[in-house]
Amino acid sequence: MAFADPARLFGRAWPALAAFVIVIGSWETIVRAYDVPSYLMPAPSAIWTAIWFDDGSIFAQAATTGFEAIAGFAIGSLFGAFLGVVCAYSVIMARALLPYVIAANTIPVVGIAPIVILWLGSGIASKIAVTALLSFFPLALNMMRGLQSYDRTIMDVFHVAAANGVQRFIKMRLPSALPYVFVGLKLNVTFAVIGAIVAEFVQADEGLGFVIMSAYKNLNMPRLWAAMTVSALIGIALFAIVAAVERLAIPWHNAMRDPSL
Amino acid sequence: MSASGVVFRGVSVSYGRRDDIVHAVSDVDLAIADGEFVSIVGPSGCGKSTLLRTVADLLAPTAGTVTIAGKSPRTVRLERAVGFVFQDAALLEWRTIVDNVMLPLEIAGVPYAERRKRATDLIALVGIAGFERSYPRQLSGGMRQRASIARAMSTDPAVLLMDEPFGALDQITRDRLNLELLELSQRERMTVVFVTHSIAEAVLLSDRVVIMSPRPGRIRSILPIDLPRPRRLEVRSDARFAELARIGLAELEDGFR
Repeated sequence: MAFADPARLFGRAWPALAAFVIVIGSWETIVRAYDVPSYLMPAPSAIWTAIWFDDGSIFAQAATTGFEAIAGFAIGSLFGAFLGVVCAYSVIMARALLPYVIAANTIPVVGIAPIVILWLGSGIASKIAVTALLSFFPLALNMMRGLQSYDRTIMDVFHVAAANGVQRFIKMRLPSALPYVFVGLKLNVTFAVIGAIVAEFVQADEGLGFVIMSAYKNLNMPRLWAAMTVSALIGIALFAIVAAVERLAIPWHNAMRDPSL
Repeated sequence: MSASGVVFRGVSVSYGRRDDIVHAVSDVDLAIADGEFVSIVGPSGCGKSTLLRTVADLLAPTAGTVTIAGKSPRTVRLERAVGFVFQDAALLEWRTIVDNVMLPLEIAGVPYAERRKRATDLIALVGIAGFERSYPRQLSGGMRQRASIARAMSTDPAVLLMDEPFGALDQITRDRLNLELLELSQRERMTVVFVTHSIAEAVLLSDRVVIMSPRPGRIRSILPIDLPRPRRLEVRSDARFAELARIGLAELEDGFR
């Protein structure tokens, strides 16, 4: 496969790497040259130090946030997938539920988080619940759309072959839906990290959201930037994992053969 | 009436309701014998595909009956005794060719070793041996259509229904597939109902050509093809072939008046 070849991988990745080096380099230079105070804009080197050398606690906090994000993502996606299947198979259920699901999805997470924390306590369970709520809707909608996107002639093939509903689902509709499912999962995984951090903002004594909040109160800006950077890295890592699973699961799909991806 | 073969009795199919009814097929009577190759030719909108779909229980007639060996299309479909080749190969892109060809047998619950052997034999029969492990996107349109013919034949159907199967292919590929279908149908003695736009294709392949006219779709005439079998592509330069094609074309054009 193309991405296993280091020379080709470098050939594709060097512009992004060059841009990274230029931006970080100018940032560091400008902050040092103009003596910008660190509470306004810490230098990349100060953020780097905050990540690795402060007290090492950022990684323990990141583990908490990562766990909340993954658990919430898994639970939310599971329920989302189930709702998607129900709505794809029953027009009545889709008409009954979707308006409320869409409405619920527009409620800002900062409004929901305090309520959930009041119900489930300020521990990890409430963070997972908020994350699950946030990473529920994209998969539900994409699963439903995906299950409805099958080829009509292939449906005729299954009809002539006298396939039952389960066979149609497993052998045709679900595989046809997978490209949509992965669109939903990629959105979910991004929202999951946001959900975990926002929930920690509201009320928590651990996690990256807690670190950001307490660093802000103490104006320890390098630590705030460090937590923000690590949270972005968690999001990127989880996204990359879902994308890798997608490559393995649907190698036949058009988007998988697009050389720019 | 005979209980064997495919029999249409007073078959009509209409779509829509009240003020907006389209009579796709109107009062069709036709008996196709076992082992016969019958083509249905006509312009777009004459209901030829509609007629074919009633045999496969993909569509129910609004009036009249269709029977296959005396049984209803639904019964025959549930017995997996019809094969259908669509204009589009309609292969599952996530399955290899052999897995695609096996699909109807897999649905029918035939054990793996048996369906695998049957599929491998059929893949050789339609001339794409060696491509068992390939994916549909790696094959040309003609090869994909061969795979879909193998799939339609996998359950060893009593009747093979083909809905403009070569309509989307280029002329050279179409000629090749016509030749191979000619040989295949002569060797296997299948009952084939073949829908096409092309009079020449119909005359080449068929025992009888059914010519339909549009609005409403009905049978205009039936042309028996008395060209000797086995036939080869060269039959197309025969005087008799030219004459039959000319008669067919004239009938087709009269249908518009």
